[in-house]
Amino acid sequence: MTTVVDHEQPAPAHGQAAPPRRRGFLMRPGLVRSAWCAALFFWIGMYIVVGLRWLAGWEPIYDWTLIVLVGGLIAAPIGFLTGLGAFDYWLHYLSGRPTLPEDHSGHGAHSWKDYFRVNTDHKVIGVQYTVTVFIFLIIGGLMAMIFRAELAEPGLQFVDGQTFNGLVSMHATLLIFTFLVPVFAGLGNYVIPLMIGAPDMAFPRLNALSYWLLPIAGVMFLASFLAPGGAFAAGWTGYAPLATEQPVGSMFFNMGVQWAGASSILTALNFLVTIITMRAPGMTFWRMPLLVWANFTTSLLVVLATPFIAGSQFFVMFDRVMHTNFFVPEGGGYALGYQHIFWFYSHPAVYIMVLPGFGIISEVIAVFSRKPIFGYRLMAISLVGILVLGFSVWAHHLFVAGMADWLRVPMMITTLLIAVPTGVKVFSWLATMWLGKIHLTTPMLFALGFISTFVLGGLSGIYLGAVPIDIHASDTYFVVAHIHYVFFGGSLMTVFAGVYYWFPKMTGRMYNERLGKLHFWLTFVALNATFFPMHWVGLLGMPRRVSDYEERFADVNMFITVASFVLGASVFVFFYNMIVSWARGPVAGDNPWRSMTLEWQVSSPPPIFNFDEIPTVVGGPYEYGVPGAKHAVMTGGASTLQEAHV
Amino acid sequence: MVAIGIVAAVLTTLVAVLIPWLPTSASEEMDRIAFVYWFATVICIGIFALVAAVIVYSVFAFRAQPEDDGDGPPIHGHTGLEIAWTAVPALLVIAIGVVSAVVLSKNADAGDNPLKVKVYAQQFAWRFEYPDAKGLKSYELVLPVDRGIEFEMTAADVIHSFWIPEMGQKQDLLPGVNTAIVITPHRTGRFTLICTELCGLGHATMRAPVRVLSQADFETWLADRVGATGGTVDGKALFASAGCGGCHTFKPAGSSGAVGPAVDGLTDAASVRQSIVDPGAVVVSGFSDGVMPTTFGDSFSDEEIDALVAFLTGSAR
Repeated sequence: MTTVVDHEQPAPAHGQAAPPRRRGFLMRPGLVRSAWCAALFFWIGMYIVVGLRWLAGWEPIYDWTLIVLVGGLIAAPIGFLTGLGAFDYWLHYLSGRPTLPEDHSGHGAHSWKDYFRVNTDHKVIGVQYTVTVFIFLIIGGLMAMIFRAELAEPGLQFVDGQTFNGLVSMHATLLIFTFLVPVFAGLGNYVIPLMIGAPDMAFPRLNALSYWLLPIAGVMFLASFLAPGGAFAAGWTGYAPLATEQPVGSMFFNMGVQWAGASSILTALNFLVTIITMRAPGMTFWRMPLLVWANFTTSLLVVLATPFIAGSQFFVMFDRVMHTNFFVPEGGGYALGYQHIFWFYSHPAVYIMVLPGFGIISEVIAVFSRKPIFGYRLMAISLVGILVLGFSVWAHHLFVAGMADWLRVPMMITTLLIAVPTGVKVFSWLATMWLGKIHLTTPMLFALGFISTFVLGGLSGIYLGAVPIDIHASDTYFVVAHIHYVFFGGSLMTVFAGVYYWFPKMTGRMYNERLGKLHFWLTFVALNATFFPMHWVGLLGMPRRVSDYEERFADVNMFITVASFVLGASVFVFFYNMIVSWARGPVAGDNPWRSMTLEWQVSSPPPIFNFDEIPTVVGGPYEYGVPGAKHAVMTGGASTLQEAHV
Repeated sequence: MVAIGIVAAVLTTLVAVLIPWLPTSASEEMDRIAFVYWFATVICIGIFALVAAVIVYSVFAFRAQPEDDGDGPPIHGHTGLEIAWTAVPALLVIAIGVVSAVVLSKNADAGDNPLKVKVYAQQFAWRFEYPDAKGLKSYELVLPVDRGIEFEMTAADVIHSFWIPEMGQKQDLLPGVNTAIVITPHRTGRFTLICTELCGLGHATMRAPVRVLSQADFETWLADRVGATGGTVDGKALFASAGCGGCHTFKPAGSSGAVGPAVDGLTDAASVRQSIVDPGAVVVSGFSDGVMPTTFGDSFSDEEIDALVAFLTGSAR
């Protein structure tokens, strides 16, 4: 049987496609079908394990660790995706049936229900991503509230040691793999095609699939709390051999990382192809907005680095379930090997979590200073510089780990040199503001707050880059302070700036400016009050990831806990503002910020294929103050565009 | 703007100087680490003051009037400035790198007459051996002042990390790998050795007492302990120094750990011995198997296990 796609009738012209046969409740793609498909696939996975063990004569035949792994963590998610309809088009093609007529029924959102389906519209996917990751932000943040309450006083009050370690590990895991990495994929999904003048991403079905992999990962991480023995508790770094001998909850982390990693690789590939092939006429690389540059370099990082963490987690899991000896010294494994592989991804991952933020800040600062970006080309080159250097610094996480001594000084030099392109960006933002006409809107406040806290995070990074100081400060609260200045003071501030900045574009409505400013000041003050004292207790001798500590750190920890509660509360100001403004904020207009980039030249929210007229790019994206300058002109030809891409 | 910069620099300097950021040093290595720390701090204060001054000044000086819809001047860049803020930070960080590299190599030098100490870590206890003193074993780390100590370390189960905050130096201990570190204590006193690498349930309690003695006192201690080998072992001291109290509540020892079951009121010497040597044999309900190390049977001598059992069952109280 060949796989020729053979339509019974002549292919119908676009728009008159015969409506697909209406399928029954259980067979229609959607959440109902995904539920029973997940159960079916679990059952299949389970009996593959049981069948093989029965054939081989291994006892016990019902090995629940393996059944959970193969049935629950591998097969059931595939069943979920199949039921949801993520593979329908490809399955039709593979099986030789007529492919589904592309009638765009899965494109665009007409009611709220469309957000719970496989939808191929990059704008819908962008919103799906953003809303989903903020749910994980709430969950991960609440975990931090629980263990901060535990840490308010020495001794154990609320949770036991295993739960504490589980909470700490899961806080970091959720916020890194299901918030900070995908949130930029979400914002980028919404704005990148608009910014380069494209009607959608290059691979819309792949885009939908990469979104739906994400909730799988998040639910898998959370489900580990239900596993016997408790959640994954070896820290988000999951160092072997501790992770190998943890209870089975550990496998949920190993596999959750695979699903999240697959999601981010697919999105990154999509970004790369979209940015390389789908730019509007005249949009040369040197005319791309810096956010596009940032997502381009980030996507390269994701594609090159993510397979390494996938490998490291598979090896740990193989050590557990197949009794291999990658990292188990008794069988000749090398414990340090894990850390090299893990950090070869996880250091570049820090740049995956902050470079798109740099892009957002560049957009915001230029628009609200009403000036061109200072040194546009050097800004783009410095992103590439960070990308290249980012791959040569992983072993600075191993200065005290027992690796070869000679590797320390070269890794220190490359680490310190990363401060140079980062410094170029900071100084260029400052120079962009200089002599400008600064409008202190909420996104701009977050951008300025970002610069000041991120500079502190960068400077504490210099301390940790210098080997002798790192030897003292490694694995203490100084590191906790540093990473939160980078992730909260850095990445999360840029996320807030970006969400406020594009909120009018995404929803067509304006957020409440007063609540936005209140949110900023609460966040900014509480953030510094929470994380700055951590530098101090760390240097004095408080190690990280401990449920209990010495009496002498009690006062500072009480202060940190109170400040962290204020920080937690500040996020709810943000959610209240977003939800209420989305429902009944004032209409924003197409271009409330008087921005030049392409996404602001279309309606808010944008039309279903983004551009009714093809834009032709005629100049740079930040030509504020240049008399008569234009970034793009609309040249008509909407119908041509529809023909070309439909 | 210069004024704002100076104010920012003065404030940051006060924060840096008035708060005791580093613990009072107890080793030559920590003195050198502190030197690098202050070297970097001076540079960082300069950079932070510059950035803070520009932000604060810009917000006040260049803020648009409410009705002003105009644009700023179209400045696209300045090659000289861009070269300057690429080159100057590069030079500054390379300076920090050079100072760090020099200190790093000095901190690896134990001097002419080093004392060798072996460190063994396991969940959740430390053990030390003095190979030059007939392999003397101790659960308390006792060191002479003003003499380079060469630590050689390894772990039995998972990764641990060796850190005495006042002495600065830190080193991970890995199963199957030998690692090394040098510390030269320069003041006497009592300190605490802390495990800084998450190693499981009892990680927060994995600590060991450290004593730095004058060289004469140290020799006396060594001679006493070597002479006493084979003699009586103090079960109470062993309970404390082997880290038992980190996980187990035991009133006579004043411990309140909750990782493992409380061990008050035990009377059956045979079952106590079994639980020390083979903790998986009987697991108290509500607690998990595989948490307590299974290596105590090897790491304790017979006399030590006898002393511990005697202390726990009350016959030595």
